[in-house]
Amino acid sequence: MNLQVLESQFWSLCLQGIALGFIYVLISLGYTMVYGVLRLINFANSEVFMVGTFATVVAQVGILQNQTDSQSLHGFRLIYTLVFALLFSMLICGFLGILVELVAYRRLRALGTNRLASLISAIAVSIVLLETTRIVTFSRPQTSPRLLDKWSFGEVAGANFRIDTVMVIVSGIIIFFTLDRFVTKTRLGKAIRAVSMSEEISKLMGINLNRVVSLTFFIGGLTTGAAAFFYTTVYETTQFNVGFNLGLAAFTTAVLGGIGNLRGAFYGGMFLGVLEQFASAILGSQWKSVTVFTVLVLVLLLKPNGIFGEAVQQTRT
Amino acid sequence: MNKKIQRSLAVVSAAALVFGVSAVTSATAAPKTVYLAFQAPLTGSNALTGQDELTGAKFALSEYNATNPAIKVELVLADDQGLAEVAAVVAPGIAANKKIIGLIGPAFSGATQASLPAYKATGLPMISMSATRVSLTDKKAPVNGFPIFKRVVANDKFQGPALARYAIKGVTSPAVYLVDDKTAYGKGLADYTAPSIKSLIKGTDSVPENTSDYTSVVAKVKASGANVVIYCGYAPDAAKFVKALRDGGYTGIFAAGDGVLKQTFPNNAGNTAAEGARLTAADVPFEDVATPAQMVAYTKLTGIKIPGTYVTSTYNATNIYLACIKQGVITRPGMQNCLTAGSFKGIAGDTIKFDRYGDIIGGAAVGAFTVKAGRITYVAVA
Repeated sequence: MNLQVLESQFWSLCLQGIALGFIYVLISLGYTMVYGVLRLINFANSEVFMVGTFATVVAQVGILQNQTDSQSLHGFRLIYTLVFALLFSMLICGFLGILVELVAYRRLRALGTNRLASLISAIAVSIVLLETTRIVTFSRPQTSPRLLDKWSFGEVAGANFRIDTVMVIVSGIIIFFTLDRFVTKTRLGKAIRAVSMSEEISKLMGINLNRVVSLTFFIGGLTTGAAAFFYTTVYETTQFNVGFNLGLAAFTTAVLGGIGNLRGAFYGGMFLGVLEQFASAILGSQWKSVTVFTVLVLVLLLKPNGIFGEAVQQTRT
Repeated sequence: MNKKIQRSLAVVSAAALVFGVSAVTSATAAPKTVYLAFQAPLTGSNALTGQDELTGAKFALSEYNATNPAIKVELVLADDQGLAEVAAVVAPGIAANKKIIGLIGPAFSGATQASLPAYKATGLPMISMSATRVSLTDKKAPVNGFPIFKRVVANDKFQGPALARYAIKGVTSPAVYLVDDKTAYGKGLADYTAPSIKSLIKGTDSVPENTSDYTSVVAKVKASGANVVIYCGYAPDAAKFVKALRDGGYTGIFAAGDGVLKQTFPNNAGNTAAEGARLTAADVPFEDVATPAQMVAYTKLTGIKIPGTYVTSTYNATNIYLACIKQGVITRPGMQNCLTAGSFKGIAGDTIKFDRYGDIIGGAAVGAFTVKAGRITYVAVA
C-alpha cells in the first residue's frame, strides 16, 4: 500500500478522476437511456464508442487533412477542427445507434421475442463492428494528431489544470445538463420518459413508440460520440478493442448510479473515475478492478437498484 | 438444399470455429504439398502481435513458392487469441491434422504452455518466434517443451538483465520505477529485470494491458522521484504510457523490452514523447535486415510499410522449416531430426542451431535500440 503518493498527488488524482469520470458518464448515458426505455442493455454501445473514436481520427486526419506529425493548431482553425470533429463523431455514433436499434432490436421487439434474443443480437452487432474494424485497421492502433497543445491554466495544490482536462470537464457538464433539460423539459424528452414508464399507455396516448426508441438510441449515440471525441483528444490514440474496457467501466458507472437514471449515471461516473485513480495509486493498478468491483458488489448488496436507483425517479428516462 | 447436408455443413462450420482452424488457400491436396501450421493471436485484443507475425510467415512462404519448388508448402492458420484457454482447445485440432509437419508458433508463452500436451503427444515440431518464458526451455521446469519445442528468440533470462543494464546506463544516481502489463510476457520480463537492479527500484506497478488512463501511475512515478522508468509490455500501451509520462512532466529515461520494439511505438507516441526511449530485443526490425527489394515485395504482399515486432523472427522460423523441406523432409519425425541436427541461417546472416532443450546455442543476442528523430535505431548489443 502506497499512502505516500497522497501527500503530493491527492488533488491531482481527484482532478484526473473527475475528468475520466466525465468520459464514463457520457458513454454510460448510451447504456442508461436505452435501458430506461427498453429495459435492455445495449451491449453494442461500447463498439459505438469505438467507432466514434475512429470517426474523430477520420474527421481530423482524413477530412480536415491534419497530419499525425503536424504542429498544434491555434485560434479559429483549432476551434473549427475540434467542433467539427466533435459533431462528426456525435452524428456518426448517433446514426450508428439508430442502425443498431433497427438491426438488433426493432424486428425482435415487433415479433415479441424473448428479451434475451435482443441481448444476443446486440452482442452480435458488437462483434461484427469490432472485428470489421480490426480487419480494416490491420489491428493497428490509430493515432490522432496533437492538435490541441496541452498547455496548463496553472497548478493548484499539485493538481495541474491542463487544457484538455478542463475541456473534458466543462464540456461534459454542458452536455450532461443539456441532456437532462431535454429529457425533463421538452416534448420529445417527455415522450421518452413516458415510454420508459409504460409502453402500452404511451401508445394509447398517441406516442409513436418506434420513433421514440430510435430517438433514444440516437441520443445515446450522440453522448457516446462526444465521449469518443474527448477520449481521442485526451489520449490521442485508439484501436479496435478500445471499447471493451471503456464500455465495461461505463456500464459499471450506469449500474452504480442506478441504470436508467440520468443523474445516477452522473454521480456513478464521478465516483468510479475518482475511485479508480485512488485504487490504482494506493493499492497498485493491478488492484484497480478488484477494488472497483468489490465496491460495486457492496453497493448493490445495500442498494440493489444502484445508489440513485429510485431516488431521482423524476429524471428517469 | 437437403436438410441433412445443411446440418452436416453447420456441424463442420461449427467445428472449424471451435477449433479455430482455417486453411489459407484451397486445401485440394495436390501431391508434394505439405502444410505448416501458424499459431498466434489472429483475432481478439492481442491480434496485432499475431497479425504482424503472420506477415513474416506469409512473406517467407511467398519467396519459397515463387521458386517453383518440388514440394509446395501451404499455411494452416490457428487462432489462439494469445490465450492459454483458447490455445488448449485449438492445439488438439492442429495436432490431429497429420498433413501438418511443423508449427510456427505459438506466439505467446502462456498459449505455448497450454498447447504443449497436444503437440508432444503427436510429435509435432514447434518453433516459436516470440514465446520468451524461461520455463519453456528449462530442463528443470515441470512443464517444458522438450523435445519438440524450439524458439528463435532469446528468453527472458537474457533479456531482463540486459534491459536493466541498458536502462540505467550512464544515469547518475539511477532511481527506477518498474511497470509491467500483467501479461505472462510482461510480468515474466519484469521478474527477470528486477533482481539485478533491486536496490535501485523505488516502486513497481502492474497496469493491465489496454489501459487507457495512466495518470495514476504517472502520479506515483513523480511521487517516487524515479528518473528511470522501465516498462515491460507491448507497444500500443507503451506509447500511451510514455505520452502520459511526458505530459505529466516526467523527463527521465523510458526503457522497454522487445514487446515495444516496433515503429508504431514512436509513431503512436507522437513527435517527442518517445524520443530517446531505450529498447531491447532479441528481434531486430525487419526493415533493418531485409534488402530493399524484399521490403518492396513485403509491402506489396502485405500492404504494410512498417513491419511490426517479431516479423524477423517469424520469417526466420518459417525459413528454418523451409530449409528442411528443401532437403526433402515431409514428415514430422523427419522434421524433428532436421531441426535438432541442422544448422540454419537467419536473414541477418546469423547462424541458428538449437540446443537440446530448444534455445539457440550461444543464446540469441539481445540488441539495444533507441528512438532517434522518431525512428527506432539500432545501437549495440545490450
